[in-house]
Amino acid sequence: MDSHPSFAPSGTQMQVPGMLDANLRVRGRVEYAMDAKLPGMIHAKLLRSPHAHARLVSIDASRARALPGVIAVITGPDLANRDDIYPYYGPIFRDQSVLVMDKARFVGDPVAAVAAIDLDTAQAALDLIDVEWEELEPVLSLDDALAAGSIVHDEPPRLGQTFADIIVRTEANSNICNHFKLRKGNIEDGFAQADHVFEDVFTSPPVQHVPMETHNCVAWWENGVLRLISATQMPFSVRAQLAEIFKVPQTRVRITVPTLGGGYGAKTYAKVEPVTAVLAQVTGRPVRLHLTREEEFVTITKHGMQIRMKTGVTRDGKIVARHSTCYFNTGAYADIGPRLIKNGGFGTGGPHKIDNVWVDSYAVYTNLAPAGAFRGYGVSQAAWAYESQMDMIADRLGWDPYEFRMKNLLNEGEPVMTGEPMYDAHFKDLLATAAERIGWDANVKAVRHGNKVRGKGLSVIIKASVTPSTSSASVKLNEDGSLQILSSAVEMGQGAETTLSVLGGEVLDLRLDQVSITHPDTDFTPYDQGTSSSRNTYSMGTAVKMAVEDIKQQLFRLASDDLEVAIGDLEVFRGRVQVKGVPERSVGYGDLVRKARAGNLLATAVYASNGGLDPETGQGIGSVHWHQAAGAAEVEVDLDTGRIEVLKYHAGVYAGRIANPAQAELQTEGNIAFGLGQALYEEMIYDGGQLQNGNLADYMIVSIEDMPRQISLDVLERHESHDIHGIGETSLPPCMPAVGNAVFRATGVRILDLPITPEKVLRGLRANARPQAHVQEIDA
Amino acid sequence: MTAEDTVAGVTARAVDGDGRISITLQVNGREQRIQVRPHHTLLEVLRNELGLTGPREGCGVGMCGACTVLVDGRPVSGCLLPAALAEGHELTTIEGLEGPNGELHPIQQAFVDHTGFQCSYCTPGFILTSKALLAEQPDASRDEARAYLAGNLCRCGSYVKILDSVMDAKERLKG
Ligand code: FES
Ligand code: FES
Repeated sequence: MDSHPSFAPSGTQMQVPGMLDANLRVRGRVEYAMDAKLPGMIHAKLLRSPHAHARLVSIDASRARALPGVIAVITGPDLANRDDIYPYYGPIFRDQSVLVMDKARFVGDPVAAVAAIDLDTAQAALDLIDVEWEELEPVLSLDDALAAGSIVHDEPPRLGQTFADIIVRTEANSNICNHFKLRKGNIEDGFAQADHVFEDVFTSPPVQHVPMETHNCVAWWENGVLRLISATQMPFSVRAQLAEIFKVPQTRVRITVPTLGGGYGAKTYAKVEPVTAVLAQVTGRPVRLHLTREEEFVTITKHGMQIRMKTGVTRDGKIVARHSTCYFNTGAYADIGPRLIKNGGFGTGGPHKIDNVWVDSYAVYTNLAPAGAFRGYGVSQAAWAYESQMDMIADRLGWDPYEFRMKNLLNEGEPVMTGEPMYDAHFKDLLATAAERIGWDANVKAVRHGNKVRGKGLSVIIKASVTPSTSSASVKLNEDGSLQILSSAVEMGQGAETTLSVLGGEVLDLRLDQVSITHPDTDFTPYDQGTSSSRNTYSMGTAVKMAVEDIKQQLFRLASDDLEVAIGDLEVFRGRVQVKGVPERSVGYGDLVRKARAGNLLATAVYASNGGLDPETGQGIGSVHWHQAAGAAEVEVDLDTGRIEVLKYHAGVYAGRIANPAQAELQTEGNIAFGLGQALYEEMIYDGGQLQNGNLADYMIVSIEDMPRQISLDVLERHESHDIHGIGETSLPPCMPAVGNAVFRATGVRILDLPITPEKVLRGLRANARPQAHVQEIDA
Repeated sequence: MTAEDTVAGVTARAVDGDGRISITLQVNGREQRIQVRPHHTLLEVLRNELGLTGPREGCGVGMCGACTVLVDGRPVSGCLLPAALAEGHELTTIEGLEGPNGELHPIQQAFVDHTGFQCSYCTPGFILTSKALLAEQPDASRDEARAYLAGNLCRCGSYVKILDSVMDAKERLKG
């Protein structure tokens, strides 16, 4: 592994606000992509398949085209006939067509697109498109998919340029989209050493990201260049995809990205951009496509998942073997599923030292909405399984779940599931603090007040950051000493631009108002792999610091001549280079730039992390560093209604060095809200392939009233650490098992299938004539 | 909250060739005369005709509060209210809260000081609803604020700091 580049010491005058542009934000004046207005702009609407799986027999848009106000209608077959367009996209497999050309693969698959002078007209035109479908046997469940009676993608996958770390293993004539393997130690020997073996099956449903700002973009063509303003987390990935579709060099596509109204993984890779760009090309006008909430629900989702997990333990409480079989439902199109199954798959190894691990993780096609990146990236599903099972094992053997975890959590230097040594291990500290804050008592499982019973639960997780990955940044130091950062990091509420300004500015000991940062613009800001995977602060932060460090060295060289001292005797202080400890002998940055007649000082830096896994064993470098988090919940369950209230929640996360304290807290609190929603409410409910609750009246997300009244945070910092851990996702996966474990201790009801609804709890209560021996009665 | 009580006030009026009617709205203290289609919501009209981008659509069905507009001081979902029914009422959007030179309202300042947001898409709605809360209940407790703000959703989950902001704003408004 690369050694970690070291960061410059913290500046002395940097004041770190929560958000640079807070003033604009509270005035409602910050601009999102959807606020862009272009002269002559027209509006797009999509006609979507009403069937989960159907062959397109014919489509006739002539009536729609004749409607006054309609500028253009394009259909899938129109695209199939154009040889100047390669009509497919997808980050790994090009398995999604811009519009359905042969068959629809989920309810909501777009088959035609209308551009009209206003939305009313575009909407009216949709009703005038005549489509004939021939329904096919839909693949609606994992069982359907594995039975392979019906095949979602009949042709072998079209592979394109993709990421270095992707392992592709597909099977012909099957619905298996990809397969990841991990083989560590010797699984037979491991189970042979075990005194007890437990096997359980856990499921997580598909859920949606629900960014408050739905997917949208505006596209137009200007002198042969495709321009887009898009709400995307990945401008460079979208640019590459569009260049491929239109068969033009990447320089002929230019994407700018304003601030996003939330992303959470939904806005990774091309989504609404390809079809909008085609409409813009056909009409010669700027075209906006802005999805409705209902459309957003079927655009991209979290993978529904089933994990069969078999774990062997010795009688003294050591885990010696784990065998997991994971099926991730990737829906109709692969999106990033073929890679996500890797993280979710090796993730089932958990934060424990287990010498023998065997994982088969599959991405499976079905006729449901496509699944892709979602905050947690497969680890939520994995952790739901292993952290629930930890408590189940402890309960069956009469152990304290806290002690059982402590006995098995990874220590410094011990190998993680991918075989590399764990360094900077803090699992035990995080768990100890969580237990203390929640008031963990091994002897009290539940406390009953009348018809309400309380219980507590714990969990600990490990998560990778995408590895290998690449970020680059350019910086300019102007002749007034101000610093400009050109970065393609996307601001989506996580404070990326603020944090990067702080990290860059402090290298030169500048004030924040002397630093500016651009929004991504693929013509000007250098390459970044994407703002996802909690990688930005670390990866882009490192690139920015390296570039500013380069500027600092340039300044030292100039100042060394100017002040006639050796470079080693210089330091920066408040915007000036000075002889160490002698402020009287100093020179301002601006003076140095001017004297050098440089106009500005320039520097560019690339940070690329190394790693990768062996395709047969899944062993190697799984992550440049390992994210670590713990959770603890106290719940109260109403025994009459099954209703669950989370009274207290504690989130612990290891941050290395904290770059922006307000944002670190906000992201961690945000993870609690996200996690409790997935623990208790969130589930996309399908009936015959039709989504039943794809709107915010029927799909519940956490409101302010659902938040626990008591929340505590432990954003663990190690001051001497040079390593910044992104924490955008890490404290999310512990939420679901912490709540599940708390509900179990309270009621004796073990829920294996998320979400933990009152109905399931009541059913469990009825099924259990549970021994109440350990319950402590409190007078109501 | 609905605007049913205003329905009776609407009378039949002339529709132009484009299916539009002429209405007059009082927005942030200014009178605005505009042509709208009768089914257009207040949210659509504020954004598309009047260029006010603070009110935003999050759900389109009255569940998220991102489109909140104060109608005579009370929070209303702009996505549910036909624009024509807003005639004759005082409408306040987030753009109407700041001073003439962009000076922040004390509630806005509290949201800045506590960073009561992440992506801030929901922020105008929360600030306007908080304004109505503190007008109705100047001594609102944290629990009362939770109940009042339950119709505003923040997917980033900035709730803890939103409540911190509102509780602080309460003190600031008392001066
Ligand atoms: S958009 Fe109006 S309440 Fe959600
Ligand atoms: S801050 Fe993003 S939705 Fe509230």
